[in-house]
Amino acid sequence: MQVLFKLMGNKRLFVLLIGVILSVAFMGLTLGKKTQMTWPEKFVEDSVSFAQGIFYKPAGYIAGFFEDLGELKILYEENKALKKKLAQYAQDTTRLNALEVQNQNLEEALEFTDRQKLANRYTWHVAEVVAQSPDPLNNTLTINLGSKDGMAVDMAVATVDGLIGRIQKVSSLYSTVQLITDIEANQNSSRAIAATAAGKEGTFGMIENYDRETGHLIMNKIPDSDKLEVGDTIVTSGLGEVFPKGVVIGRIDSIKVGDFGITYTASIKPAANFNVWREVFVIEVPKP
Amino acid sequence: MRWMVERNLIWILLLFLFIVEGGLVPWLIPADWKVDIAPHFVLIGVMYIAIFLNRHTALVYGIFFGLLQDVVYYGHMLGPHLFSMGLIGYLAGFGVRRSYISIGSVMTTIMAGNFLYSVLIYGIYQLFKVVQLPFSWVLTHQILPGIIIQLLFALLIYIPARHFFERTVFLQQDEN
Repeated sequence: MQVLFKLMGNKRLFVLLIGVILSVAFMGLTLGKKTQMTWPEKFVEDSVSFAQGIFYKPAGYIAGFFEDLGELKILYEENKALKKKLAQYAQDTTRLNALEVQNQNLEEALEFTDRQKLANRYTWHVAEVVAQSPDPLNNTLTINLGSKDGMAVDMAVATVDGLIGRIQKVSSLYSTVQLITDIEANQNSSRAIAATAAGKEGTFGMIENYDRETGHLIMNKIPDSDKLEVGDTIVTSGLGEVFPKGVVIGRIDSIKVGDFGITYTASIKPAANFNVWREVFVIEVPKP
Repeated sequence: MRWMVERNLIWILLLFLFIVEGGLVPWLIPADWKVDIAPHFVLIGVMYIAIFLNRHTALVYGIFFGLLQDVVYYGHMLGPHLFSMGLIGYLAGFGVRRSYISIGSVMTTIMAGNFLYSVLIYGIYQLFKVVQLPFSWVLTHQILPGIIIQLLFALLIYIPARHFFERTVFLQQDEN
């Protein structure tokens, strides 16, 4: 060891180099890891998240209160618009009920198996956010549902507006959500989302990237034959059976020819905003 | 043994900063520019330790709280914050001459440390290809606005921090 120190000339530099090597090895080993969390990780996650929840929730209520004060003026207008919508909603509900019965009958007539019948019956769990990552290049959220509440890796997470991410790791009482703003094609830990345009059956595209500079999601691999237009609403297609079907992602902002000229690439403005949340929904797809 | 109590208080205070960083700050920063601002309050605490106590203590605190951040917000990988916070905590000890500590030199050190920290994190992510962004964009949209927030916070806690650490050092010397 002494010889090595002399060789390096400087002990401090030697220790620093060892530190660099060990850290880089550590980073490389844990890069994109998707296995279960170890118990120390779970313990740290659970206890820190608990403490963070103590601050996050009340702060959210206070912020919400001031937001509400600011919105008092537009409340009347909003109420009027909502009442109109409610009438529409009642109409839709009757139609939906009729269609559901019809659908059930058809499923029975075609002898659907139990598994097929249950495949689209998603459970929406309400989860409270307890913390947000302070690192702007690593966007994660902590929510207060864990494996004890039936959470599992890769479940979709959405707000009322649209999809915001997926569960990346689960501890006993809390889970960490990776936001879709962190989606990156050549990264192991991120998952591409199969998408389709609402109302255009059979259209296809993969959301693989997020452009931080413009704040838009990039949808690739759109076949030439799919006639997508600017303004189309993009929803999850449910292909791949990881993400549920029909969760709104956003609206097409622009379309251009893709890298190789064979497929198209669309830029999508996300429907959800990525500021700060109080509650999010976790969508559970029934297990086959 | 009073200074031992103070030492334990450092752990608690830093842990409090860490919890506030992810639990409270998202609500305090206006929604319009929230995404780009990173509160690195723990890092500032670690740099104060390096400046007012010594750099080896700061290295230990930096490594511990860096690891904590990596584990709690595990997104891409474990390690970037551990490495950067430890290193910056250690280097910050060289930024100020112990014999004469002025607010100007402390703020300069904190600014430089914050800048280096953000650049290191960005560099590590770029190295492992988990983010692909031009440096100029990250610099103008994340690092520079971030530094302003960190400096404001550092100024805010400068006087209490200085008093606290000077008392710790005084108690330590008194009892030795």
